[in-house]
Amino acid sequence: MNQERKRLDPRRPFVLNPAGLRRITLGATGGFDASLLTAPAHAPAVKPPRLQGDPAGYLLVAAHSLRGVLDAHAHQAIAAAALLASPQQAVIVLVFGGLDEDLRAHGADLVAVLPAAGEQDFAPEQELAWLCEFVTRYAPAHVFMPDNEIGDGDLGRRLAVHLEAEIATHVVELKPGAVAMYWQGGAQLARGAMPPVVLLAPDVVETSLPFRGAGETLAPPAIQVPPGRYQNRGLREIAASALALEEADFIVAAGNGVADIPTLEAVAAAFGAAVGASRVAVDEGKFPRDKQIGATGKTVSASTYLAVGISGAVQHLQGIKACRHVIAINSDASAPITKRADLSIVGDAQEVMTALLAELARRNWADTARESV
Amino acid sequence: MSPQLKIAALVSVGRNPASGAPRAARNDVLALDAALALAPQVSVLHAGDAAPALHDYLAYGAASVEVLPLPPEADALAPLAARVAGYDLILCGQRAEAGQGSGTLPYRLAKALNLPVVSAALELTVLGDAVEIVQFLPKGQRRVVRVSLPAVIALHPLAPRAPRYVYASLRAGCVRSAPAPLAPPSPPSPWRSEPAVKKPQKLKAPETRQGHARMLGAIATESKGGALVREGAAAEKARAILDYLRANRLIGF
Ligand SMILES: Cc1cc2nc3c(=O)[nH]c(=O)nc-3n(C[C@H](O)[C@H](O)[C@H](O)COP(=O)(O)OP(=O)(O)OC[C@H]3O[C@@H](n4cnc5c(N)ncnc54)[C@H](O)[C@@H]3O)c2cc1C
Ligand SMILES: Nc1ncnc2c1ncn2[C@@H]1O[C@H](COP(=O)(O)O)[C@@H](O)[C@H]1O
Repeated sequence: MNQERKRLDPRRPFVLNPAGLRRITLGATGGFDASLLTAPAHAPAVKPPRLQGDPAGYLLVAAHSLRGVLDAHAHQAIAAAALLASPQQAVIVLVFGGLDEDLRAHGADLVAVLPAAGEQDFAPEQELAWLCEFVTRYAPAHVFMPDNEIGDGDLGRRLAVHLEAEIATHVVELKPGAVAMYWQGGAQLARGAMPPVVLLAPDVVETSLPFRGAGETLAPPAIQVPPGRYQNRGLREIAASALALEEADFIVAAGNGVADIPTLEAVAAAFGAAVGASRVAVDEGKFPRDKQIGATGKTVSASTYLAVGISGAVQHLQGIKACRHVIAINSDASAPITKRADLSIVGDAQEVMTALLAELARRNWADTARESV
Repeated sequence: MSPQLKIAALVSVGRNPASGAPRAARNDVLALDAALALAPQVSVLHAGDAAPALHDYLAYGAASVEVLPLPPEADALAPLAARVAGYDLILCGQRAEAGQGSGTLPYRLAKALNLPVVSAALELTVLGDAVEIVQFLPKGQRRVVRVSLPAVIALHPLAPRAPRYVYASLRAGCVRSAPAPLAPPSPPSPWRSEPAVKKPQKLKAPETRQGHARMLGAIATESKGGALVREGAAAEKARAILDYLRANRLIGF
């Protein structure tokens, strides 16, 4: 048993690569190249542009914005166009409503904004005219839109009917030149060549892109049509407290860190928000089961999610994936929710909620004082 | 409610999502129910075969269902458009449960007849020669839209209606089929369909990164981790919340 073991020298020569990793090249004398270390490890790399040279063709994406931002579904439509475009094809994004965000990371090359298309206005003839103007001007190979209920699904169908173009709706699978969607209420999957108008179902595109769009501004369509057959009689808002959690736009949610439920409910009422809860709070009997948010509760898609005294366990975060703005109030600065939250307030829930109520009351009082002057 | 209003409800054959059994389509039942609430006499029309599932609509209140015969695979638009020309109000569901279910038929019908079309209707009220529609919008919003008659209106699945299934009226009504017309050959469909067993694939960027970069990508958390407010009195923290909400236009004050 005296066989000689072959041993590796743990101190054999190595090189450090820019990412700070040891690399051993057999036979090399190695050493340590300090110049390589100047590049900070794990630095966010600037993504290369996708578009090569002057565009030779276009893909058009159209979507409605809400409060100056596009939702995830619209971002997916832009990403889809960017992924399907050839290196010479530019992705044009036509936004109905204002836009305060940068769409470059989502793959937009040319962005035209129509702030005049008021947030929740109903002017299908005007919007169709704008969209058609772009279709005529740029002759895009395809028009991609999210198949949603905030106006894009409606407008996309109007566009296809107006152009007498083939349309694919509720598209669940996209490949270069091909689409697939469900038929027979989901029993059949139909495939075919990609038609001129493509309306995407949600979550059929991965939005992380290895490139960026050029993100240049484009003059929006200017055509004006006279008021037509549709008359907008305004919006009606339903009190958030009367809504199912899934539909609410503002949710104030309580976790184990909330002792005083009436204060929390007062905060929710002041914001006109719906009340949700973590599983622990529900299990303790503070809330009915239908208020639970998370993997075993409800999946919500509010624009604003105020998490009070919630640690942010994965099972809870699963339920708030679609929430755009998450604000956390937690006494623990290292709770997992702070990684998900856009704004984290470190402090006692009761104190912050009380201060919030006082602040809101002061604001109300100031408003009424101003009015009575 | 004006008695001389001519209302048509377009009904298709639905499909139980669990068993696949044919039945009345949920959205079309809502359309029928909304039509019956506006006028006692409603033309209930179906383009296709006189399927047994159409009897369900009798139970939901249709006095009779008129079937416009259609060769299989043919487009329902032409016979329906020809039949409903001259009607004041044409109600349909937002999306069919059988066939393509693309939700485009109301739009194509409106184009063929040169009428306005409003979808996602929850409630409708006829006001003289106009109709006012409460439209569904997500996030608890509702929009009120008015169009003049005649119009095509598609009902949203969440329309607050409670249609009742009455067996006696199923027995009392009848499904009438017009004589079959000469079938023009329908063009071959550009779509191929197969049983939906495989999950559709997400479109994503091809992976070009090498091992280490890929691993970093996989373990990196998507979320950025936003601003952290640690210091200050509770009132300042409260103001930080309100400032954030205002900056992002999440509250109106
Ligand atoms: C199979 C499975 C499914 C699950 N499904 C769900 C689900 O659907 N939904 C769900 O929510 N959970 C679910 N859970 C439970 C989940 O794992 C967590 O246990 C739960 O979300 C924790 O709730 P919490 O954050 O309210 O409580 P805790 O984890 O106890 O966190 C309380 C937080 O409040 C903070 N806090 C304490 N006191 C104060 C104070 N005075 N002021 C401010 N902050 C304070 C603490 O720092 C802590 O971060 C599931 C678990 C399993 C195993
Ligand atoms: N063959 C048909 N006969 C009558 N109405 C139909 C027919 N097909 C569709 N419809 C109506 O049009 C709506 C939308 O259908 P679709 O565009 O196929 O999703 C349905 O909810 C029905 O009200």
